[in-house]
Amino acid sequence: MTGKRFKTIAFDGLLKNNPTLRLVLGTCPTLALSTAALNGIGMGLAVTFILICSNVLISLLRKTIPNAVRIPAFVIIIATFVTIVRMVLDKFIPSLYDSMGVYLPLIVVNCIILGRAESFASKNTVLDSACDGLFTGLGFTCALTLIGAVREILGAGAIFGVRLWDFKIEFFTSSAGAFFVYGLAIAIFNAVYSKVENVRRSKTFALRMLPKPDVSAPDNLDPDASGEAEKANTTADVTAKEVK
Amino acid sequence: MEKVIVSDSPHIRGKRTTRGIMLDVIIALLPAAIMGCVFFGVDALVTIIISVAASVATEFVYCLCLKKKPLDIIKSFDLTSVVTGLLLAMCLPSSVPWYVPLLSAVFAIAAVKMLFGGTGKNVVNPAITGRVFAFIAFQSVMVSGWVAPSLSALDGSVSTGATQLTSMLGGNGYSVSLLDMFLGTGMAGCIGETCKLALLIGGIYLVARKVIKWQFPVIYIVVEGFVAVCLAKFDFAAFMPSILSGGLFLGAIFMATDYVTSPNSTAGNYVYFVALGVLTAVLRAATKIEVVSFVILLMNLLVPLINAYIRPRPFGAPGFIERTRAKIEAKKAAKATKEEGGKQ
Repeated sequence: MTGKRFKTIAFDGLLKNNPTLRLVLGTCPTLALSTAALNGIGMGLAVTFILICSNVLISLLRKTIPNAVRIPAFVIIIATFVTIVRMVLDKFIPSLYDSMGVYLPLIVVNCIILGRAESFASKNTVLDSACDGLFTGLGFTCALTLIGAVREILGAGAIFGVRLWDFKIEFFTSSAGAFFVYGLAIAIFNAVYSKVENVRRSKTFALRMLPKPDVSAPDNLDPDASGEAEKANTTADVTAKEVK
Repeated sequence: MEKVIVSDSPHIRGKRTTRGIMLDVIIALLPAAIMGCVFFGVDALVTIIISVAASVATEFVYCLCLKKKPLDIIKSFDLTSVVTGLLLAMCLPSSVPWYVPLLSAVFAIAAVKMLFGGTGKNVVNPAITGRVFAFIAFQSVMVSGWVAPSLSALDGSVSTGATQLTSMLGGNGYSVSLLDMFLGTGMAGCIGETCKLALLIGGIYLVARKVIKWQFPVIYIVVEGFVAVCLAKFDFAAFMPSILSGGLFLGAIFMATDYVTSPNSTAGNYVYFVALGVLTAVLRAATKIEVVSFVILLMNLLVPLINAYIRPRPFGAPGFIERTRAKIEAKKAAKATKEEGGKQ
């Protein structure tokens, strides 16, 4: 796997196709388990582990599984790993197991895992799929932890279980607060993302619009090109502002 | 003809502005607000001032964040945020700490009104949602600590405890006379909801200024009372205490009649207010708490549905009866032509 491919997969999983904030997948555990930052981390890491394992196995079996029964096959593979995680958590971290409640077995039908299996692991090599699982899972974990931290600070006056102050806005621990924070998180993330994306796109656009470098004079190509690129950039910015 | 103005319709515009209507609402709210301050003292005044100031400040800051010029903001300022702040403070108890009106007002303006596009575009009533926010967010503060007014007609002392409505719904009956309930003397409750007389005066002013129609609040209050009577096994003694307690008058006159969040047709409004009355009585009996704000919030969310099914009739268009008649005739005609076709 080349570095560029790795970079694309990482960028896709963490930001561009962030399951929670961009694709709005896995909403149910997000709303229910983001009451505290630690819950978010626990859920996120459980999902990440299952995602990596199921992606690897599905990718290995992608030529064996008949197309007509692929969904049941995926579900069985995912359910196997969910069962393993459940048993391990029940044995070693019972507090986390209890706090996750019904949402742990529900990972079987979590649309993030099924979605990655369907759209990525069943079409790509094992290493790529493992990477995709890791970064999608980490994207999910980050989003869940972030929402959980905001809700914990505002709703319980604590962060990662550490007490900060006595002031509480109980609204944020309720489900209404979950929807509110989740909605705002999606809005802010997408606003920032599209802004950054716009800037990046206008830069590449400006670069592409440059006159082609003179082949006969390769020596002074670099300084000229960069200078022109800057000029083009500024003009692009100016036009963008005018349009606004 | 000296001047021909070329423009789109509408060509005739009313002289009423949002600002004027909101000013009327503020004037109508003043008696109840003053009575609240008289009954509950300085605490009530402070709560009202914090709430109004926070509402207006939030709107200004939000507009500044949108890079509007300060002068434009002041020019387009239409007093709706003052009304929101005032209404919000009036449905909070006077004993709340300062941050409750502050945060609720910020939530009401920023999240409920401005995020949806500002005045006229909000889906639910900001003041109601602010109160519900306060209720959910600061449950411990909101549920306990109702202060009965210091000018209590009963014993002249300040007492903290359940409101009349809560004790009534809990099956303990009510301990003040109906006149006290009507005047708000000796009643525990939110700042603006106890003095029904002042609220009625405000309502009559709004009706006289043609800001609201008298039928709708009356429908809400009467239907609520009647359903409460039905739920009390047709005990008509339950009628007056049920309509005179809690925030029913405040909600019916000032909150439910909000233009933005009520249906846009007369028939739709009848459905809306009857549903409000029924739901308030039923949910009050079921949950044993005051539900007026929750019910109005719920019905606000159903307004788009009502609007989708009950459309206002455009001026000059055939009414329901005429349309039905036309439909039947068209059916008959279709049948006749079919029969003719069959004969041929």
